[in-house]
Amino acid sequence: MDGGGNNGTPISVEELNKLRSIAEKARRNVVKMLFYDQTIHVGSSLSSLEILTTLLFRYIREGKDAINRDWLILSKGHAAPALYALLVEKGYINEDELWKIQDISGLLQGHPEIFIPGIDMSTGSLGQGLSFGVGVAQGIKMKRGSGRVFVIMGDGEQDEGEVWEAMTHAVTRKLDNLIALIEMNGFQLDAPTSKVKPKDFLPDVWRAVGWKVLSCDGHDFISLINTIDEALKAKAPVVIFAKTVRGKGFKEIENTVSQRASPDDARKYLTNA
Amino acid sequence: MMQGNTLPMRETFGKLLVELGKVNRELVVITADVGNSTRAMYFREAFPDRYFNVGISEQDMVNFAAGLAAVGFKPLVIGFAMFLMRAWEQIRNTVARMNLDVKLVATHSGFSDSGDGSSHQALEDIALMRVIPNMKVIIPADSADVKRTLPVVINELRGPLYYRMGRDYTPVITEGLDYDFKLGKGYVLRDGEDLVIIGAGVVLYDALRAAEELEKMGISTAVINLLSIKPIDEDLIEYYARKTGRIITIEEHSIYGGIASAVAEVIVKRYPVPMKFIGATTFGRSARSQRDLLDFYGINSKSIIGAALKLVK
Repeated sequence: MDGGGNNGTPISVEELNKLRSIAEKARRNVVKMLFYDQTIHVGSSLSSLEILTTLLFRYIREGKDAINRDWLILSKGHAAPALYALLVEKGYINEDELWKIQDISGLLQGHPEIFIPGIDMSTGSLGQGLSFGVGVAQGIKMKRGSGRVFVIMGDGEQDEGEVWEAMTHAVTRKLDNLIALIEMNGFQLDAPTSKVKPKDFLPDVWRAVGWKVLSCDGHDFISLINTIDEALKAKAPVVIFAKTVRGKGFKEIENTVSQRASPDDARKYLTNA
Repeated sequence: MMQGNTLPMRETFGKLLVELGKVNRELVVITADVGNSTRAMYFREAFPDRYFNVGISEQDMVNFAAGLAAVGFKPLVIGFAMFLMRAWEQIRNTVARMNLDVKLVATHSGFSDSGDGSSHQALEDIALMRVIPNMKVIIPADSADVKRTLPVVINELRGPLYYRMGRDYTPVITEGLDYDFKLGKGYVLRDGEDLVIIGAGVVLYDALRAAEELEKMGISTAVINLLSIKPIDEDLIEYYARKTGRIITIEEHSIYGGIASAVAEVIVKRYPVPMKFIGATTFGRSARSQRDLLDFYGINSKSIIGAALKLVK
């Protein structure tokens, strides 16, 4: 796979601190959104935060040329608040928009839409991002572009049959410009994943199909960077199983099935954290 | 003049697609393991690098095509009408919502897969497609209509489009007629004063036969080829509602949500007149021929004549 600007470069303390502060600011902003709308998926958003920060601020090469830039597909579209908070830090979206999330007058939808600056795919219906990513990655290869495709999925999302269709397809096409990240936070909408449908076998399945399978701590920047660096060197599609925590850092809902919290809980977090 | 078969629509389509692929280098064809049945195989033989069989995976097929469109290709997804519907939600939520330039081509629509029975007979696809924002719906009547429409569909029209064909049964309907295809336009196959039959696809053969019979009975009957179902030719429909005062719709599809509904939506808004609907109302079944099924379910000239006599009475 073609190397990006930061690939393989050891991370400096300054950059590490920068990533941490960006993620923390975004985390606070996600929680702060609860003042304005209590129906956003805070738990899933906080699960995705460090993964999205790492990709957006260290790996994703931006640009207008569809085949020589990188694509970021948030297949678990319900984590949109985390992505929006980071797109604010990137300068794509005004911070004021965050407080109008899901409001009739606002730009930011409950799930990503391509009319929002910085969004590569309209998502929200689970299981569709990987197939789309396979199409983008294949198209880039046919046009001899250097773009890479990152697809972020949830563990619950793996229940969708289309993931199987796309997973087997990517191997058939030998797409070494495609990286899938699956957040293993152990919860889906109704209950812990173990109670709904076990997910422990997933790495074995992906490996058996022909993916290079890696794993990491999805909240630890060094672990994420080391793993993504390794993924970028692979000659096959790579899946990274990232252990994450739903509601990470927000004690009121951390590691629970709960997606939402009250403005009071948000206030408590924002004054103490 | 209207007897006999020409090349089946899917044959005409498959061969024409190769010609279009020679000029349009961004055209890619994607199918879910029905390349032979749909005649996409001709494109595979000509352009193996631009042909993808994704396996029996319709949902992946549609979103894979969406991804290819996002980086500048012109994907044409081809499959059996029924099983494209399996990916309705992918069509709706990714292709249409992102307004991507993906052409969805259905073969084996209606009763055309006669032997396989109701599991394979798509009688709901027009309804399912035309309800989606950004989606266009085109139904060619015969091979001549395929030749008129397909180059425009591939070279000129952008965005999601559903193109509906059958399998082998292809009676001659529009061969030799002098009209060009324009999106949103219906075509008068035959003029008349007392009644208008509006339909699309192979059933227009029965519409023309019925019109001939009705003429003999003194009922002057117009026939409209409504090949652009969405956008629909509101002006033409209104004009004939005013001119004839009676409408019969015919379709190889459920009357609920299909052409009957689409025409009725225009009529109640523009100029209400009495209407009769001819089409399917339930699932199909197996038969040795598509013709047997059309006759079994009363989607034929006999039903049109019966409906016409009731309307004129």
